Amino acid sequence: MGLLAQGIVSGVLVGGLYALMSLGISLSWGALKIINLAHFAFILLSAYLVYQLTVSFGLDPLLTILIILPLFFLVGVLMQLFFHLARVDEFKSLIVSFGLLIIFQSLIQTTWSADFRRIGSALNPYETESFFIGSVAFPLAQLMAFVSALLIAGAMYLLFTRTYFGKAVRAVAQDPEMARAFGVDPRRVAVILSGLSTAFSALAGVFIAIGQTLFPGLAVGWFGIVFSVVILGGLGNALGAVVAGVIIGVAAGVATILWGPLAAPLVTFLILIGALLFRPEGLLTTRSVA
Amino acid sequence: MTGRARTLIGFVVVGTALGLVPNLEEILTFPRFYLIFLFTIFFWVAQASSWNILTGYSGYFSFGQGAFYGVGVYTASVLVGKHGWSFITALPIAGVVAGATGLVLGLVVFRVRRLTGEIFALTTLAVAFVLASVARLSPSIDGGTGIFMTGTAVPEVLGEFTTAVYRLTLLIALVAVVTAYLIHDSRLGWGLFAIRDDEAVASGLGVPTFRYKMIALGANASLAGLMGGLWSIQLGFVTIDDVFNIRVPLFVILMSVLGGMRHWMGPVVGAVIITTLADRLNSAGLADVNQIVIGGMLVVLALAVREGVYVRMRRRWGTTAITFFGVLVVTIVLGINESLISDFAYAMVATVVVMLLPERAWDQIRRFFGRREPGAGDERAEGLTRTGS
Amino acid sequence: MRQHRRWSYMAVITTLALIAAACGDGEGGATSTLAPGTTGAPQTTEAETDTETTAATGEPIRIGGTLALTGVFAATAAIHQATGEVFVERLNESGGLLGRPVEWVLLDDESTPDLAAAAYERLITEDEVDLVIGPYGTGNITAAMAVAQRYGYVFPHHTASLTYAYNYECHFSSWSTGLHPNITNPNLLYDAIESSGTPPETIGFVVNEFPGTMFISYGQPDTDEGGAVAEAEKRGWEVVLDVTFPIATSDWGPIAAQIKDADPDFLFIAGLGLDAPNIINAMQTIDYQPAGMFVQWPAPGPLLGTEGADGIMSVTIFEEHPPFTDDPEAVEVAADISQALADSGVPYTKVETQAAASWTAWEYLQQAAEGAGSLDQEAMCNWLIENGADTLFHGNIEFFPDQQNYYEDLSKIKQVQDGDWWVVYPSEFAAPDRSVIYSP
Repeated sequence: MGLLAQGIVSGVLVGGLYALMSLGISLSWGALKIINLAHFAFILLSAYLVYQLTVSFGLDPLLTILIILPLFFLVGVLMQLFFHLARVDEFKSLIVSFGLLIIFQSLIQTTWSADFRRIGSALNPYETESFFIGSVAFPLAQLMAFVSALLIAGAMYLLFTRTYFGKAVRAVAQDPEMARAFGVDPRRVAVILSGLSTAFSALAGVFIAIGQTLFPGLAVGWFGIVFSVVILGGLGNALGAVVAGVIIGVAAGVATILWGPLAAPLVTFLILIGALLFRPEGLLTTRSVA
Repeated sequence: MTGRARTLIGFVVVGTALGLVPNLEEILTFPRFYLIFLFTIFFWVAQASSWNILTGYSGYFSFGQGAFYGVGVYTASVLVGKHGWSFITALPIAGVVAGATGLVLGLVVFRVRRLTGEIFALTTLAVAFVLASVARLSPSIDGGTGIFMTGTAVPEVLGEFTTAVYRLTLLIALVAVVTAYLIHDSRLGWGLFAIRDDEAVASGLGVPTFRYKMIALGANASLAGLMGGLWSIQLGFVTIDDVFNIRVPLFVILMSVLGGMRHWMGPVVGAVIITTLADRLNSAGLADVNQIVIGGMLVVLALAVREGVYVRMRRRWGTTAITFFGVLVVTIVLGINESLISDFAYAMVATVVVMLLPERAWDQIRRFFGRREPGAGDERAEGLTRTGS
Repeated sequence: MRQHRRWSYMAVITTLALIAAACGDGEGGATSTLAPGTTGAPQTTEAETDTETTAATGEPIRIGGTLALTGVFAATAAIHQATGEVFVERLNESGGLLGRPVEWVLLDDESTPDLAAAAYERLITEDEVDLVIGPYGTGNITAAMAVAQRYGYVFPHHTASLTYAYNYECHFSSWSTGLHPNITNPNLLYDAIESSGTPPETIGFVVNEFPGTMFISYGQPDTDEGGAVAEAEKRGWEVVLDVTFPIATSDWGPIAAQIKDADPDFLFIAGLGLDAPNIINAMQTIDYQPAGMFVQWPAPGPLLGTEGADGIMSVTIFEEHPPFTDDPEAVEVAADISQALADSGVPYTKVETQAAASWTAWEYLQQAAEGAGSLDQEAMCNWLIENGADTLFHGNIEFFPDQQNYYEDLSKIKQVQDGDWWVVYPSEFAAPDRSVIYSP
């Protein structure tokens, strides 16, 4: 029983990380109608930067957040301006952002070589720390990711439902021209939203750098899980992303324990297919942005 | 003689000419590698063309090319590598099984009413992952150990190994392109385009949307699987990660977007361009730059080339021909490059660059040469962009 | 429309610039005329002054090959690239091959077997290289070997793990595990563990679904030969855990939980690359550490920096300490390779199995050509089979045709002790004052 409990706990927490990784794409897609694959590159780049800052300057990995988040917010802003200038529609955005993903991945490989990079226990105090409830462990790095995801999701929910900016975002998502007629500047809304999305992706990168070993090929391996979370959670729905992430994390974890690790991806994607067929608008429809 | 008859004869002529190339190897003394270069192009022509039949014609964006390709590769590999079947028998079965996979997918997915475009796309992506997982889990398919296809015998009548692969890929590529062509100019094609423009309206007009979509998906899947089955012997050692990865699904998108998704020649042109460029960059020994250039091209061309390169080439076919053959002849005569493929690449790039010049630049060039046609250039551009074919 | 035009111009300019940049270094230059090289006798080097190098003269001998310069295998392929470059440089400085300078024509196979096959076909039929050397990665090697076989080229290669599949008469592997690594490697490990005096009673297996590690653990598919698991059972050890995980696993928590639950006396990680650090980290996080661990083919660097990795064992052919460093030439070469690795930005710069295997494959090629006195493939192949090779890192190698040209298992067991890798078994190869540390 302890084994199952551990599997579930592990799944829930890693689900938070999955949610964090998926927030960027989900918000972009739902609110901005842009499928931005470059987010995978941002997560990866952020992770590498965290690694480099920690290793070169001896910073605590969590402290790097102070540098990383504003930096990537800016990157998101620039990216949105670029998309706006180039007038990409949803379909083109897929292709253009994939091109950007390839470019960034190559630049990462050129800069840091294709070899594996880990911060290492000396500089990374969070690597193997856990809280224990009974014999069940709550890994610290994953716990932080999970809590961040929850906080952000909650903040996004409040933002979208209670603030003027949130209303503006929803208006722009539904009909940019109408929104403009009501005094909302779609471009400014889009730019801010893009900055936020990218910052969230960067935050995911921080936790990845703390908890995993890095190599340039990591990014492409995330496609499957992130898209599962995005669809299951509903486009643009931050809370949905958290719920979806947890569901997928737990399903994979339990499947691993019951049937072995090979069964986990199968279960994950069967869930995705089920979601696509029976509830493609996501689990928490009423609260989605778009 | 009708246009269709002429085009079909054109296919026969081109097909025969290409098919005879291996026989010319002795006479023209070109390196055998050229055959491999060509059949790599054929591989991508088949993949991109088959993909476009579904996505370009019907508008249902598919990330699933990898799934159908993978089913084809593994069907052939399991039959031949694990059970000792003959390759030539296993090949069509690979196509059939892949086609069946597509049809099953279509049965499930096309019945769901709320399936929007992007959702369909992700469903196809998910199917690829599911199939990969199934193959991983089941030792009778792969189970992680991989399948050895090296040393597979091909029928002697086709020639030695490289020539045999060449002829088979040529055949399958021709089948794919001809299929795309025939569908394009048929009622089925018209129906698919109607679906792409507005499915509800098409349905209202009496188009049997479900049936047509199934046909398109079936054609896509079976062609992808057929070529996949053949490709298993080029891979040599078939593993899940080498087969079910992002490469095939993404490259077919790139090629079709570049060449143009509204015409059956689009993917062909796109496949030729991308394969040649990737090959030359690889051979120039610039590993990392290769990736950056391809990514950069993807970005720039997707933004600058709305209807695809092929439409522009056809619109200005005279300029295309002059540029292409001009540069080709010049580079061959000057002997700048060691490889004919590089000469071809230069000619191709020059043509693409010229195609990218916008209409206004052409007007200015025409004015420069004193042949001014007031406004005609812009009108033509506008007109063709609207109808796009 | 204006936006569109601007983009069109940009597209033109960008494409031109990119192409110009890409083609700048590559094409043009030497044509491959086949004037026979001069065959002056190679001069011996004077050892004293290092400025006095002998010049190899004549038409270069071109050795073709690919490596995974990009793609999933790029990390380890970088080691092979650096090693090969050092070999070629040293060879040229000491008179070249048969008196002629050597040129390595290296292409990128992008970690993709069909590209590897196409590249070798290009190297052989278009570039018309004189010799070939194998790529990195089992899939790539398999595909390339088929091409080499078709054209009758001698095919030395370094890292193909699926030994049973290779029966080309002229393939020569420097992956010195012999033909049955699924039997010999585990038994070497189990002997080592038993030499500590306290063998385990229970053992757990965590297996990466990569073909090479599947082979080591379970043996050749569709045969009864068995592998690490079966050999453990033969020793009377109870197998309390046997899980296989996908290559792209990202969540190691549940696997770690299963290991902790089974609590084996010894944990056999049939994994590669990052598997061991990931699993160990995940176990540490749930406060568990097995009494003893083994990992098959780890990336050596990351493992050293992992908390809880002390005591883990692995296999190796060469390590940078005595008795391996008793040979001054080995020391010198290892230093050169380390320098090259550092220059190319690889984080872990010590020479170990990968670099050693790479070096040995190059030596096969050199000795074959020198022994046969020519570049004739058949002559070289026969010479190698008849005479074997005398290598720097692997000692004397013989190629037994009835064992698919494989030799015996030359692996040794190394262990992380005091933060570094040391060979601990067999004792005649163990580092001074080092031996297996294990007690369940």
